Amino acid sequence: MRLRTWVFCLNEANQNLLRNPVLAIASVTTTAISLLVLGVFLLLTVNVNAIATSVESQVAVRAFFAKNVPQSQETAELQTVRSWSQVRTATLVTKAQALAELKKEFGDQAKVLDSLGTANPLEDSLSVAVQKPQDVKAVATRLSHLSGVVHTTYQSAVVSRLFALINDIRVVGLVIGILLLIGSLLVITNAIRLGMAARRREVAIMRLVGATESLVHWPFILEGLILGGIGAIVASGLAYWSYVAAYHSAVRSLPFLPLVSPSPVARDIALLLLVLGILLGAVGFRISVRRLARV
Amino acid sequence: MISMRRVTKEYPNSVIALQDVDLEIGKGEFVFLVGPSGAGKTTLLRLLFREEVPTSGSVIVNGHDVGRMRPRQIPFLRRQIGVVFQDFRLLPQRNVHENIAFALRVIEAHPREIKRRVAQVLELVGLSDRGHALPAQLSGGEQQRVALARAMVGRPVMLLADEPTGNLDPQNAEDMVRIMLEINRLGTTVVMATHAAHLVNRARQRVVAMEGGMIQRDELAASYHVEVNR
Repeated sequence: MRLRTWVFCLNEANQNLLRNPVLAIASVTTTAISLLVLGVFLLLTVNVNAIATSVESQVAVRAFFAKNVPQSQETAELQTVRSWSQVRTATLVTKAQALAELKKEFGDQAKVLDSLGTANPLEDSLSVAVQKPQDVKAVATRLSHLSGVVHTTYQSAVVSRLFALINDIRVVGLVIGILLLIGSLLVITNAIRLGMAARRREVAIMRLVGATESLVHWPFILEGLILGGIGAIVASGLAYWSYVAAYHSAVRSLPFLPLVSPSPVARDIALLLLVLGILLGAVGFRISVRRLARV
Repeated sequence: MISMRRVTKEYPNSVIALQDVDLEIGKGEFVFLVGPSGAGKTTLLRLLFREEVPTSGSVIVNGHDVGRMRPRQIPFLRRQIGVVFQDFRLLPQRNVHENIAFALRVIEAHPREIKRRVAQVLELVGLSDRGHALPAQLSGGEQQRVALARAMVGRPVMLLADEPTGNLDPQNAEDMVRIMLEINRLGTTVVMATHAAHLVNRARQRVVAMEGGMIQRDELAASYHVEVNR
Protein backbone atom coordinates (compact mmCIF):
# COMPACT_ATOMS: atom_id res chain seq x y z
CA MET A 1 0.00 0.00 0.00
CA ARG A 2 1.07 3.56 -0.63
CA LEU A 3 1.97 5.94 2.17
CA ARG A 4 -1.21 7.99 1.67
CA THR A 5 -3.24 4.80 1.95
CA TRP A 6 -1.56 4.06 5.30
CA VAL A 7 -2.42 7.58 6.37
CA PHE A 8 -6.01 6.98 5.27
CA CYS A 9 -6.20 3.71 7.24
CA LEU A 10 -4.65 5.33 10.30
CA ASN A 11 -7.21 8.13 10.10
CA GLU A 12 -10.06 5.65 9.89
CA ALA A 13 -8.66 3.75 12.89
CA ASN A 14 -8.35 6.98 14.86
CA GLN A 15 -11.91 7.96 14.07
CA ASN A 16 -13.06 4.63 15.48
CA LEU A 17 -11.11 5.17 18.66
CA LEU A 18 -12.40 8.71 19.06
CA ARG A 19 -15.96 7.62 18.40
CA ASN A 20 -15.81 5.34 21.41
CA PRO A 21 -13.28 6.84 23.82
CA VAL A 22 -14.53 5.06 26.94
CA LEU A 23 -14.01 1.66 25.38
CA ALA A 24 -10.63 2.72 24.03
CA ILE A 25 -9.55 3.81 27.50
CA ALA A 26 -10.89 0.57 28.98
CA SER A 27 -8.90 -1.47 26.45
CA VAL A 28 -5.71 0.45 27.06
CA THR A 29 -6.13 0.25 30.85
CA THR A 30 -6.84 -3.47 31.01
CA THR A 31 -3.99 -4.20 28.64
CA ALA A 32 -1.64 -2.05 30.68
CA ILE A 33 -2.67 -3.63 33.98
CA SER A 34 -2.41 -7.20 32.77
CA LEU A 35 0.95 -6.62 31.13
CA LEU A 36 2.20 -4.78 34.20
CA VAL A 37 1.24 -7.67 36.48
CA LEU A 38 2.93 -10.07 34.12
CA GLY A 39 6.02 -7.88 34.07
CA VAL A 40 6.15 -7.58 37.85
CA PHE A 41 5.96 -11.35 38.22
CA LEU A 42 8.64 -11.84 35.61
CA LEU A 43 10.95 -9.42 37.41
CA LEU A 44 10.19 -11.11 40.70
CA THR A 45 10.99 -14.53 39.26
CA VAL A 46 14.22 -13.31 37.72
CA ASN A 47 15.34 -11.85 41.03
CA VAL A 48 14.37 -14.73 43.27
CA ASN A 49 16.14 -16.93 40.75
CA ALA A 50 19.26 -14.83 41.05
CA ILE A 51 19.12 -14.95 44.84
CA ALA A 52 18.70 -18.72 44.75
CA THR A 53 21.58 -19.16 42.34
CA SER A 54 23.84 -17.06 44.47
CA VAL A 55 22.83 -18.96 47.59
CA GLU A 56 23.35 -22.24 45.78
CA SER A 57 26.85 -21.26 44.77
CA GLN A 58 27.47 -20.65 48.44
CA VAL A 59 26.30 -24.13 49.37
CA ALA A 60 29.30 -24.93 51.17
CA VAL A 61 29.65 -26.97 54.21
CA ARG A 62 31.38 -25.03 56.95
CA ALA A 63 33.24 -26.87 59.65
CA PHE A 64 34.15 -24.64 62.58
CA PHE A 65 37.18 -25.34 64.74
CA ALA A 66 37.33 -24.91 68.46
CA LYS A 67 39.16 -21.74 69.56
CA ASN A 68 42.21 -23.56 70.89
CA VAL A 69 43.02 -25.67 67.82
CA PRO A 70 46.50 -24.81 66.50
CA GLN A 71 46.91 -23.61 62.92
CA SER A 72 49.10 -26.61 62.03
CA GLN A 73 46.34 -29.06 62.94
CA GLU A 74 43.84 -27.05 60.89
CA THR A 75 46.13 -27.22 57.86
CA ALA A 76 46.56 -30.96 58.30
CA GLU A 77 42.78 -31.46 58.44
CA LEU A 78 42.45 -29.32 55.31
CA GLN A 79 44.77 -31.69 53.44
CA THR A 80 42.72 -34.70 54.62
CA VAL A 81 39.46 -33.12 53.49
CA ARG A 82 40.91 -32.23 50.11
CA SER A 83 41.70 -35.90 49.54
CA TRP A 84 38.04 -36.94 49.90
CA SER A 85 36.44 -37.85 46.54
CA GLN A 86 33.14 -36.05 47.28
CA VAL A 87 34.93 -32.74 47.78
CA ARG A 88 35.40 -30.28 44.97
CA THR A 89 37.33 -27.56 46.81
CA ALA A 90 38.25 -26.93 50.37
CA THR A 91 39.77 -23.81 51.87
CA LEU A 92 40.78 -22.69 55.29
CA VAL A 93 39.03 -19.48 56.35
CA THR A 94 40.73 -17.80 59.26
CA LYS A 95 38.63 -15.76 61.64
CA ALA A 96 40.24 -12.57 60.35
CA GLN A 97 39.21 -13.42 56.78
CA ALA A 98 35.72 -14.31 57.97
CA LEU A 99 35.32 -10.90 59.62
CA ALA A 100 36.54 -9.12 56.50
CA GLU A 101 34.00 -11.01 54.39
CA LEU A 102 31.22 -10.16 56.76
CA LYS A 103 32.15 -6.48 56.56
CA LYS A 104 32.03 -6.66 52.78
CA GLU A 105 28.57 -8.24 52.82
CA PHE A 106 27.24 -5.55 55.12
CA GLY A 107 28.50 -2.85 52.77
CA ASP A 108 27.37 0.60 53.93
CA GLN A 109 26.20 -0.81 57.21
CA ALA A 110 29.55 -2.35 58.14
CA LYS A 111 29.73 0.23 60.92
CA VAL A 112 27.56 -2.09 62.97
CA LEU A 113 30.60 -4.32 63.26
CA ASP A 114 32.79 -1.51 64.52
CA SER A 115 31.22 -1.92 67.93
CA LEU A 116 33.19 -5.16 68.22
CA GLY A 117 36.34 -3.15 68.50
CA THR A 118 39.37 -5.37 68.18
CA ALA A 119 37.57 -8.48 69.43
CA ASN A 120 36.74 -11.13 66.84
CA PRO A 121 34.03 -13.54 68.00
CA LEU A 122 34.37 -15.68 64.88
CA GLU A 123 36.18 -18.97 64.55
CA ASP A 124 38.52 -20.46 62.03
CA SER A 125 36.68 -22.79 59.67
CA LEU A 126 37.00 -25.03 56.69
CA SER A 127 34.85 -24.00 53.75
CA VAL A 128 34.12 -27.09 51.69
CA ALA A 129 32.32 -27.21 48.32
CA VAL A 130 31.06 -30.64 47.34
CA GLN A 131 30.99 -32.29 43.91
CA LYS A 132 27.27 -33.05 44.05
CA PRO A 133 24.63 -31.26 46.15
CA GLN A 134 23.29 -34.59 47.47
CA ASP A 135 26.70 -35.29 49.09
CA VAL A 136 26.34 -32.29 51.35
CA LYS A 137 24.92 -34.22 54.27
CA ALA A 138 27.49 -37.03 54.13
CA VAL A 139 30.40 -34.61 53.89
CA ALA A 140 29.02 -32.60 56.79
CA THR A 141 28.85 -35.74 58.92
CA ARG A 142 32.41 -36.72 58.03
CA LEU A 143 33.62 -33.21 58.81
CA SER A 144 31.96 -33.24 62.21
CA HIS A 145 34.02 -36.32 63.12
CA LEU A 146 37.32 -34.54 62.47
CA SER A 147 39.25 -33.74 65.60
CA GLY A 148 39.03 -30.10 66.64
CA VAL A 149 35.78 -29.46 64.76
CA VAL A 150 33.01 -28.25 67.04
CA HIS A 151 30.14 -27.86 64.63
CA THR A 152 29.22 -27.89 60.96
CA THR A 153 26.59 -25.99 58.96
CA TYR A 154 25.21 -26.20 55.47
CA GLN A 155 22.45 -24.31 53.68
CA SER A 156 20.67 -26.92 51.60
CA ALA A 157 17.34 -26.51 53.37
CA VAL A 158 17.36 -22.79 52.62
CA VAL A 159 18.09 -23.46 48.98
CA SER A 160 15.37 -26.04 48.49
CA ARG A 161 12.85 -23.73 50.16
CA LEU A 162 13.94 -20.89 47.90
CA PHE A 163 13.48 -23.00 44.80
CA ALA A 164 10.02 -24.01 45.95
CA LEU A 165 9.21 -20.33 46.43
CA ILE A 166 10.43 -19.48 42.92
CA ASN A 167 8.21 -22.16 41.48
CA ASP A 168 5.20 -20.87 43.38
CA ILE A 169 5.85 -17.32 42.25
CA ARG A 170 6.27 -18.51 38.68
CA VAL A 171 3.02 -20.49 38.66
CA VAL A 172 0.98 -17.79 40.39
CA GLY A 173 2.41 -15.09 38.15
CA LEU A 174 1.81 -17.09 35.01
CA VAL A 175 -1.78 -17.97 35.93
CA ILE A 176 -2.70 -14.42 36.94
CA GLY A 177 -0.88 -13.01 33.94
CA ILE A 178 -2.62 -15.33 31.49
CA LEU A 179 -6.05 -14.66 32.99
CA LEU A 180 -5.46 -10.93 32.75
CA LEU A 181 -4.18 -11.26 29.19
CA ILE A 182 -7.34 -13.13 28.23
CA GLY A 183 -9.38 -10.39 29.87
CA SER A 184 -7.63 -7.63 27.99
CA LEU A 185 -7.85 -9.63 24.77
CA LEU A 186 -11.63 -9.78 25.20
CA VAL A 187 -11.84 -6.05 25.83
CA ILE A 188 -9.70 -5.25 22.77
CA THR A 189 -11.73 -7.67 20.64
CA ASN A 190 -14.89 -6.03 21.84
CA ALA A 191 -13.57 -2.58 20.97
CA ILE A 192 -12.65 -3.71 17.47
CA ARG A 193 -16.02 -5.38 16.98
CA LEU A 194 -17.87 -2.28 18.04
CA GLY A 195 -15.76 -0.35 15.57
CA MET A 196 -16.77 -2.80 12.87
CA ALA A 197 -20.43 -2.43 13.74
CA ALA A 198 -20.14 1.36 13.79
CA ARG A 199 -18.38 1.37 10.43
CA ARG A 200 -20.73 -1.08 8.73
CA ARG A 201 -21.73 1.51 6.12
CA GLU A 202 -18.16 2.54 5.37
CA VAL A 203 -17.11 -1.06 4.96
CA ALA A 204 -20.06 -1.84 2.68
CA ILE A 205 -19.29 1.20 0.53
CA MET A 206 -15.57 0.40 0.45
CA ARG A 207 -16.35 -3.03 -0.89
CA LEU A 208 -18.93 -1.67 -3.32
CA VAL A 209 -16.48 0.73 -4.92
CA GLY A 210 -13.74 -1.90 -5.20
CA ALA A 211 -11.52 -1.55 -2.13
CA THR A 212 -9.36 -4.62 -1.61
CA GLU A 213 -10.00 -6.71 1.49
CA SER A 214 -6.65 -5.73 2.97
CA LEU A 215 -7.63 -2.08 2.76
CA VAL A 216 -10.94 -2.91 4.44
CA HIS A 217 -9.07 -4.74 7.21
CA TRP A 218 -6.16 -2.41 7.90
CA PRO A 219 -8.02 0.30 9.82
CA PHE A 220 -9.21 -2.36 12.27
CA ILE A 221 -5.78 -4.00 12.51
CA LEU A 222 -4.28 -0.59 13.25
CA GLU A 223 -6.99 0.02 15.83
CA GLY A 224 -6.01 -3.19 17.60
CA LEU A 225 -2.32 -2.36 17.36
CA ILE A 226 -2.87 1.13 18.73
CA LEU A 227 -4.94 -0.14 21.68
CA GLY A 228 -2.53 -2.96 22.50
CA GLY A 229 0.51 -0.81 21.80
CA ILE A 230 -0.47 2.11 24.03
CA GLY A 231 -1.36 -0.31 26.83
CA ALA A 232 2.00 -1.99 26.38
CA ILE A 233 3.93 1.28 26.35
CA VAL A 234 2.26 2.31 29.61
CA ALA A 235 2.91 -1.10 31.18
CA SER A 236 6.51 -1.42 30.06
CA GLY A 237 7.27 2.17 31.06
CA LEU A 238 5.80 1.62 34.52
CA ALA A 239 7.53 -1.75 34.91
CA TYR A 240 10.89 -0.34 33.86
CA TRP A 241 10.71 2.84 35.89
CA SER A 242 9.45 1.18 39.05
CA TYR A 243 12.02 -1.60 38.82
CA VAL A 244 14.86 0.86 38.48
CA ALA A 245 13.52 2.79 41.48
CA ALA A 246 12.97 -0.38 43.56
CA TYR A 247 16.39 -1.69 42.63
CA HIS A 248 18.20 1.43 43.71
CA SER A 249 16.42 1.69 47.03
CA ALA A 250 16.96 -2.04 47.67
CA VAL A 251 20.66 -1.80 46.89
CA ARG A 252 20.92 0.97 49.47
CA SER A 253 19.00 -0.73 52.26
CA LEU A 254 19.61 -4.44 51.60
CA PRO A 255 23.07 -4.50 50.01
CA PHE A 256 23.61 -8.22 50.62
CA LEU A 257 20.68 -9.20 48.35
CA PRO A 258 22.09 -10.22 44.94
CA LEU A 259 19.41 -8.40 42.88
CA VAL A 260 19.55 -8.32 39.09
CA SER A 261 20.77 -4.99 37.79
CA PRO A 262 18.00 -3.26 35.76
CA SER A 263 20.03 -2.31 32.73
CA PRO A 264 19.62 -5.54 30.75
CA VAL A 265 16.68 -7.25 32.45
CA ALA A 266 14.17 -4.43 32.90
CA ARG A 267 14.73 -3.32 29.34
CA ASP A 268 14.26 -6.86 28.02
CA ILE A 269 11.08 -7.31 30.00
CA ALA A 270 9.80 -3.90 28.86
CA LEU A 271 10.43 -4.98 25.28
CA LEU A 272 8.71 -8.30 25.87
CA LEU A 273 5.65 -6.50 27.27
CA LEU A 274 5.62 -4.23 24.23
CA VAL A 275 5.67 -7.19 21.87
CA LEU A 276 2.95 -8.94 23.90
CA GLY A 277 0.73 -5.84 23.81
CA ILE A 278 1.05 -5.50 20.06
CA LEU A 279 0.38 -9.22 19.74
CA LEU A 280 -2.79 -8.78 21.82
CA GLY A 281 -3.99 -6.17 19.35
CA ALA A 282 -3.24 -8.37 16.38
CA VAL A 283 -4.92 -11.43 17.91
CA GLY A 284 -7.91 -9.26 18.87
CA PHE A 285 -8.27 -8.35 15.22
CA ARG A 286 -7.94 -12.00 14.11
CA ILE A 287 -10.78 -12.97 16.42
CA SER A 288 -13.00 -10.15 15.18
CA VAL A 289 -12.32 -10.54 11.50
CA ARG A 290 -15.04 -13.11 10.97
CA ARG A 291 -17.50 -10.47 12.11
CA LEU A 292 -16.20 -8.21 9.37
CA ALA A 293 -16.86 -10.82 6.68
CA ARG A 294 -20.55 -10.70 7.56
CA VAL A 295 -20.87 -6.91 7.39
CA MET B 1 -20.74 -6.12 -21.92
CA ILE B 2 -23.17 -8.36 -20.03
CA SER B 3 -23.95 -11.90 -21.00
CA MET B 4 -26.19 -14.11 -18.87
CA ARG B 5 -26.77 -17.71 -19.97
CA ARG B 6 -29.42 -19.90 -18.38
CA VAL B 7 -28.91 -18.22 -15.06
CA THR B 8 -30.77 -19.57 -12.06
CA LYS B 9 -30.42 -18.14 -8.57
CA GLU B 10 -31.86 -19.99 -5.65
CA TYR B 11 -31.43 -18.57 -2.16
CA PRO B 12 -30.65 -20.83 0.82
CA ASN B 13 -34.27 -20.48 1.99
CA SER B 14 -35.13 -22.17 -1.37
CA VAL B 15 -36.68 -19.04 -2.82
CA ILE B 16 -35.96 -19.09 -6.55
CA ALA B 17 -35.20 -15.49 -7.48
CA LEU B 18 -34.13 -16.09 -11.07
CA GLN B 19 -34.97 -18.98 -13.32
CA ASP B 20 -33.21 -19.79 -16.59
CA VAL B 21 -32.52 -16.19 -17.47
CA ASP B 22 -30.82 -15.38 -20.77
CA LEU B 23 -29.83 -11.76 -21.28
CA GLU B 24 -27.36 -9.94 -23.51
CA ILE B 25 -26.56 -6.27 -23.02
CA GLY B 26 -24.09 -4.61 -25.36
CA LYS B 27 -21.57 -1.89 -24.67
CA GLY B 28 -23.16 1.56 -24.48
CA GLU B 29 -26.75 0.35 -24.11
CA PHE B 30 -29.34 1.83 -21.77
CA VAL B 31 -31.66 -0.81 -20.36
CA PHE B 32 -34.67 -0.47 -18.07
CA LEU B 33 -35.29 -3.53 -15.96
CA VAL B 34 -38.96 -3.42 -15.04
CA GLY B 35 -41.44 -5.59 -13.20
CA PRO B 36 -43.24 -5.86 -9.89
CA SER B 37 -41.48 -6.27 -6.56
CA GLY B 38 -40.05 -9.76 -6.22
CA ALA B 39 -39.66 -10.18 -9.97
CA GLY B 40 -35.91 -10.73 -9.62
CA LYS B 41 -34.61 -7.31 -10.75
CA THR B 42 -32.50 -6.71 -7.66
CA THR B 43 -31.07 -10.23 -7.71
CA LEU B 44 -30.14 -9.81 -11.36
CA LEU B 45 -28.27 -6.58 -10.59
CA ARG B 46 -26.57 -8.12 -7.54
CA LEU B 47 -25.24 -10.92 -9.74
CA LEU B 48 -23.70 -8.34 -12.06
CA PHE B 49 -21.52 -6.75 -9.38
CA ARG B 50 -20.83 -10.08 -7.70
CA GLU B 51 -22.79 -9.44 -4.55
CA GLU B 52 -24.34 -12.83 -5.33
CA VAL B 53 -23.15 -15.83 -7.32
CA PRO B 54 -25.48 -17.72 -9.67
CA THR B 55 -26.69 -21.15 -8.54
CA SER B 56 -26.29 -22.32 -12.12
CA GLY B 57 -25.60 -20.81 -15.51
CA SER B 58 -22.96 -18.24 -16.39
CA VAL B 59 -22.77 -14.50 -15.84
CA ILE B 60 -20.10 -12.71 -17.84
CA VAL B 61 -19.55 -9.04 -17.04
CA ASN B 62 -17.03 -7.09 -19.09
CA GLY B 63 -15.13 -10.32 -19.75
CA HIS B 64 -15.19 -11.59 -16.16
CA ASP B 65 -16.95 -14.85 -15.34
CA VAL B 66 -18.65 -13.67 -12.16
CA GLY B 67 -19.56 -17.14 -10.89
CA ARG B 68 -16.01 -18.45 -11.12
CA MET B 69 -14.23 -15.33 -10.00
CA ARG B 70 -11.77 -15.65 -7.12
CA PRO B 71 -12.58 -13.43 -4.14
CA ARG B 72 -9.43 -11.37 -4.56
CA GLN B 73 -10.49 -10.39 -8.07
CA ILE B 74 -13.85 -9.01 -6.97
CA PRO B 75 -12.57 -5.50 -6.12
CA PHE B 76 -11.16 -5.13 -9.61
CA LEU B 77 -14.53 -6.08 -11.18
CA ARG B 78 -16.28 -3.57 -8.96
CA ARG B 79 -13.96 -0.77 -9.99
CA GLN B 80 -15.45 -1.14 -13.48
CA ILE B 81 -19.00 -0.89 -12.21
CA GLY B 82 -20.84 2.00 -10.57
CA VAL B 83 -23.82 1.13 -8.38
CA VAL B 84 -26.66 3.33 -7.11
CA PHE B 85 -29.35 2.21 -4.65
CA GLN B 86 -32.76 3.45 -3.66
CA ASP B 87 -31.48 4.46 -0.19
CA PHE B 88 -28.47 6.53 -1.39
CA ARG B 89 -26.03 4.95 1.14
CA LEU B 90 -24.02 8.08 1.85
CA LEU B 91 -21.76 8.48 4.89
CA PRO B 92 -23.59 10.91 7.17
CA GLN B 93 -20.51 12.38 8.92
CA ARG B 94 -18.76 13.24 5.68
CA ASN B 95 -19.60 16.09 3.36
CA VAL B 96 -20.48 15.71 -0.30
CA HIS B 97 -16.92 16.10 -1.50
CA GLU B 98 -15.57 13.57 1.01
CA ASN B 99 -18.32 11.06 0.22
CA ILE B 100 -17.38 11.09 -3.43
CA ALA B 101 -13.62 11.22 -2.81
CA PHE B 102 -13.97 8.20 -0.48
CA ALA B 103 -14.59 5.96 -3.50
CA LEU B 104 -11.28 7.04 -5.05
CA ARG B 105 -9.30 7.08 -1.82
CA VAL B 106 -10.00 3.43 -1.14
CA ILE B 107 -8.71 2.48 -4.58
CA GLU B 108 -5.55 4.49 -3.84
CA ALA B 109 -5.99 7.23 -6.43
CA HIS B 110 -3.62 10.18 -6.40
CA PRO B 111 -4.91 13.17 -4.38
CA ARG B 112 -4.59 15.52 -7.33
CA GLU B 113 -6.53 13.09 -9.50
CA ILE B 114 -9.19 12.78 -6.77
CA LYS B 115 -9.65 16.54 -6.60
CA ARG B 116 -9.97 16.86 -10.37
CA ARG B 117 -12.39 13.98 -10.82
CA VAL B 118 -14.61 14.89 -7.89
CA ALA B 119 -15.00 18.37 -9.38
CA GLN B 120 -15.91 16.80 -12.75
CA VAL B 121 -18.61 14.48 -11.42
CA LEU B 122 -20.05 17.18 -9.18
CA GLU B 123 -20.51 19.26 -12.31
CA LEU B 124 -22.01 16.28 -14.14
CA VAL B 125 -24.71 15.88 -11.48
CA GLY B 126 -25.16 19.64 -11.05
CA LEU B 127 -23.93 19.95 -7.47
CA SER B 128 -20.71 21.91 -7.96
CA ASP B 129 -21.72 24.43 -5.30
CA ARG B 130 -22.73 21.84 -2.64
CA GLY B 131 -19.36 20.15 -2.08
CA HIS B 132 -19.13 21.14 1.57
CA ALA B 133 -22.71 20.26 2.54
CA LEU B 134 -23.39 17.25 4.72
CA PRO B 135 -25.88 14.67 3.37
CA ALA B 136 -28.45 15.69 6.00
CA GLN B 137 -28.41 19.23 4.59
CA LEU B 138 -29.39 18.01 1.11
CA SER B 139 -32.76 17.10 -0.39
CA GLY B 140 -33.42 13.48 -1.36
CA GLY B 141 -32.84 14.31 -5.01
CA GLU B 142 -29.52 15.95 -4.23
CA GLN B 143 -28.44 13.04 -2.04
CA GLN B 144 -29.17 10.61 -4.84
CA ARG B 145 -27.16 12.73 -7.23
CA VAL B 146 -24.24 12.59 -4.78
CA ALA B 147 -24.59 8.80 -4.75
CA LEU B 148 -24.62 8.86 -8.56
CA ALA B 149 -21.51 11.05 -8.58
CA ARG B 150 -19.77 8.60 -6.24
CA ALA B 151 -20.74 5.71 -8.53
CA MET B 152 -19.35 7.55 -11.56
CA VAL B 153 -16.19 9.09 -10.10
CA GLY B 154 -14.15 5.95 -10.77
CA ARG B 155 -15.16 6.15 -14.47
CA PRO B 156 -16.87 2.76 -14.59
CA VAL B 157 -17.79 1.19 -17.90
CA MET B 158 -21.15 0.24 -16.49
CA LEU B 159 -23.69 1.89 -14.17
CA LEU B 160 -26.19 -0.26 -12.28
CA ALA B 161 -29.09 1.49 -10.57
CA ASP B 162 -31.54 -0.34 -8.31
CA GLU B 163 -34.73 1.70 -7.99
CA PRO B 164 -32.74 4.94 -7.89
CA THR B 165 -35.89 7.06 -8.05
CA GLY B 166 -37.87 5.06 -5.50
CA ASN B 167 -37.44 7.67 -2.77
CA LEU B 168 -37.65 10.73 -5.01
CA ASP B 169 -40.46 13.08 -5.99
CA PRO B 170 -41.44 13.09 -9.69
CA GLN B 171 -39.31 16.13 -10.59
CA ASN B 172 -36.18 14.76 -8.95
CA ALA B 173 -36.86 11.34 -10.44
CA GLU B 174 -36.99 12.86 -13.92
CA ASP B 175 -33.77 14.79 -13.29
CA MET B 176 -32.12 11.59 -12.16
CA VAL B 177 -33.09 9.73 -15.34
CA ARG B 178 -32.01 12.70 -17.44
CA ILE B 179 -28.53 12.62 -15.84
CA MET B 180 -28.32 8.86 -16.31
CA LEU B 181 -29.22 9.22 -19.99
CA GLU B 182 -26.47 11.83 -20.26
CA ILE B 183 -24.02 9.43 -18.62
CA ASN B 184 -25.09 6.78 -21.12
CA ARG B 185 -24.62 9.21 -24.00
CA LEU B 186 -21.02 9.69 -22.83
CA GLY B 187 -20.46 5.95 -23.36
CA THR B 188 -21.31 4.18 -20.12
CA THR B 189 -23.59 1.15 -20.24
CA VAL B 190 -26.57 1.73 -17.92
CA VAL B 191 -28.92 -0.82 -16.38
CA MET B 192 -31.69 0.67 -14.27
CA ALA B 193 -34.21 -1.38 -12.34
CA THR B 194 -37.46 0.48 -11.71
CA HIS B 195 -41.20 0.23 -11.58
CA ALA B 196 -41.81 3.86 -12.38
CA ALA B 197 -43.72 3.42 -15.63
CA HIS B 198 -43.86 7.11 -16.56
CA LEU B 199 -40.05 7.42 -16.49
CA VAL B 200 -39.64 4.36 -18.69
CA ASN B 201 -42.25 5.46 -21.14
CA ARG B 202 -40.78 8.92 -21.58
CA ALA B 203 -37.17 7.73 -22.10
CA ARG B 204 -37.95 5.31 -24.99
CA GLN B 205 -35.10 2.92 -24.30
CA ARG B 206 -34.73 -0.86 -24.28
CA VAL B 207 -37.04 -2.43 -21.70
CA VAL B 208 -36.54 -5.85 -20.15
CA ALA B 209 -39.68 -6.86 -18.26
CA MET B 210 -39.38 -9.50 -15.55
CA GLU B 211 -41.87 -11.45 -13.54
CA GLY B 212 -41.46 -14.40 -11.20
CA GLY B 213 -37.72 -14.63 -11.82
CA MET B 214 -38.11 -14.87 -15.60
CA ILE B 215 -37.84 -12.44 -18.48
CA GLN B 216 -41.27 -11.87 -19.98
CA ARG B 217 -40.48 -9.28 -22.60
CA ASP B 218 -37.40 -7.61 -24.07
CA GLU B 219 -38.06 -4.74 -26.50
CA LEU B 220 -36.12 -1.80 -27.90
CA ALA B 221 -37.45 1.74 -27.57
CA ALA B 222 -40.32 0.33 -25.62
CA SER B 223 -42.74 1.30 -22.91
CA TYR B 224 -43.91 -0.22 -19.66
CA HIS B 225 -47.54 -0.58 -18.73
CA VAL B 226 -48.37 -1.54 -15.22
CA GLU B 227 -51.35 -3.88 -15.23
CA VAL B 228 -54.37 -2.44 -13.51
CA ASN B 229 -54.87 -5.45 -11.27
CA ARG B 230 -51.48 -4.97 -9.57
